[in-house]
Amino acid sequence: MSTQDIILFLHPTFGVLGVLAALWVFVETLNATPATQRRIWRASLITTGMFALTWFFAGWFYTLYYHSGDQAIIGKGPVPWTHSFFMETKEHLFFIPLILAFYLPFVTRLELSVNKAARNMVLAITALIVLDGLAIEGAGAIINWGAKTSLAQTVQMTTNPTTIKGAE
Amino acid sequence: MESQMSKNTREERMAAAFGLSAAITVVFNVVLAFIKDSYPPLNAFMTSLTGHHWRTHGLADVILFVLLGFLFMAQNKPADGMTNKLVINVTAATIGAGALLSLWFVFF
Repeated sequence: MSTQDIILFLHPTFGVLGVLAALWVFVETLNATPATQRRIWRASLITTGMFALTWFFAGWFYTLYYHSGDQAIIGKGPVPWTHSFFMETKEHLFFIPLILAFYLPFVTRLELSVNKAARNMVLAITALIVLDGLAIEGAGAIINWGAKTSLAQTVQMTTNPTTIKGAE
Repeated sequence: MESQMSKNTREERMAAAFGLSAAITVVFNVVLAFIKDSYPPLNAFMTSLTGHHWRTHGLADVILFVLLGFLFMAQNKPADGMTNKLVINVTAATIGAGALLSLWFVFF
């Protein structure tokens, strides 16, 4: 396993951990009390930290390895839209939950057990982080499938070219 | 008690200011993606700044979020502080921006 592979695996790992931390904040906030305030604050910092790490590792992989690797492979395969739609959307959509994750600790500092608007804000942004995060994870799986399908077709063309539609 | 109240008020003003900033930054992120995608010289300029347009894009978003947050805080905006209206604005901006982004890459 190369450094490139490790970076590739780290970025969705931190992404999932960020989504789970946001879900944790959401659930705790539903029944926020003065006793849980400190825990909510810490969970929100974990959410921010996980998304910052996702940004770092996703950026490292995307800017240095993706274009010459997966994108080039997907472009030659039968499902180029896995890049043109899913990757293009994913790479810009990611900044939305990132900003929300950076914003989260500003609200969890407030007294959520008495401040209804602040509690609603935390519930709204954590729900959006979870939904955006899951959509981005799903898009990543589709991009991975796009690269795998292209490689499978290459292997198939090498071993039995007549089985590929349009290859004859 | 008094110092606790003023601390909460300051924290709430900060949360409201950065909430407004987050709503604007989320929309800015998508508008920048549209312009960058349809105007190659901007894409090239952003690439020249950090070596990759995506790096510049992310940094621009975060810097704008921080700057607008402090600016709104200094100007005491939004004037009504942390309200459900602000919650709706942040939610609407996020859902609208995400939907527009997806539609953009479907049709363009």
